[in-house]
Amino acid sequence: MDVLILCAKTAVACLLIVAGGAKLSDPASFASTARLFLPFRVAWPLLSAIAVGVSLGELAVGLASLTLPAITALNALVFAIACAFVGVSALGYAFHRGRSCRCFGALSQREFDAASVLRSAVTAGIAAVALAHVGAAAALQLDATARVLLLAAAGLLALAAFTAAKARGTDSEPEPEVAS
Amino acid sequence: MLLASSFVAVALVLCVVTALALFGVTHVSMSGAEAIERDGLAPGILAPVWSLADSTGKVVCSPPRTPLQLIMFTDHSLKAFPSVADGLREVMAQERLEIVVLTRRRNELAEPVLRSIGLDGISVLTGSPSLYASYNVRVTPFAIFVDSAGRVRASSLVNHAWQVTKLLQLADLPLEQENLAPRGRFWRRTAGAGA
Repeated sequence: MDVLILCAKTAVACLLIVAGGAKLSDPASFASTARLFLPFRVAWPLLSAIAVGVSLGELAVGLASLTLPAITALNALVFAIACAFVGVSALGYAFHRGRSCRCFGALSQREFDAASVLRSAVTAGIAAVALAHVGAAAALQLDATARVLLLAAAGLLALAAFTAAKARGTDSEPEPEVAS
Repeated sequence: MLLASSFVAVALVLCVVTALALFGVTHVSMSGAEAIERDGLAPGILAPVWSLADSTGKVVCSPPRTPLQLIMFTDHSLKAFPSVADGLREVMAQERLEIVVLTRRRNELAEPVLRSIGLDGISVLTGSPSLYASYNVRVTPFAIFVDSAGRVRASSLVNHAWQVTKLLQLADLPLEQENLAPRGRFWRRTAGAGA
């Protein structure tokens, strides 16, 4: 059972790291998705800042969840984020069906549809499994070496997601400049 | 302690496997035919600036002094595409157009072979892999039209004569917003080139 919980915790943490790293490679496109959910007009720089903030937030929570497993509050935070994903997917399905969600930047071309709501729900379910870890938290105190190793692996994962999204996505293609 | 070790092991394995999977998927997606279709530069973008001398010492610049410059990314292998050579001969009579052949690296065969297939008067320039990369060109023969302002007017892989002439027509289109690649994704105006 413990192994299942550990797998659930690491899986969601990795998912957050990949999502954050991939989004950071193309904040502009994620900003355009974020704009869909704002009921009022927001200046583009602010939208970009929101997009970068969300991406960095995902990345930070993923890194923290992976390297500080003994902090049980992080499990609750990850679960809350996963629930927010469900909410965003449901809203996207209701109001912006067929639009690209950019949840993983350019890594995925998935759209807001019923399947995206289901995927988010599954993610939330896995995060909920990780919540069960609370009782064994004290046994998850890591030494410095383990933390450094995990941080390096998480950094590698974030870099891989960033690079893959950059290579596959729009930023790898030249942005046209309007002739004056 | 056992639990912590298990957690570290699971997390390390998952991170490394996911990272490797990301690299693998990206490698596959970048080497497919669809990826090659996205090669080249979008119309309107500023092309690399360079100045190279051909074997006669003639210095060729990009952006060109002529209104339009056709940069052919190829070498002696162009002989295998006689239709492309036909297309080049068809458009090379135009005074407003400067045609240059840019090889990926030093290629002693390129110039004599190109001369032998009737492409006289075209400067053959020795480029570099990095110059090819800056034009986002991987597969040859590839054609990119650049105007005197240094902006890309059209680009595509070319396999046939009609593609060269079609690209020239596209290059003549004004650089209005609707002729530029849309913001975000670059869908090049293609001349229908195949791999």
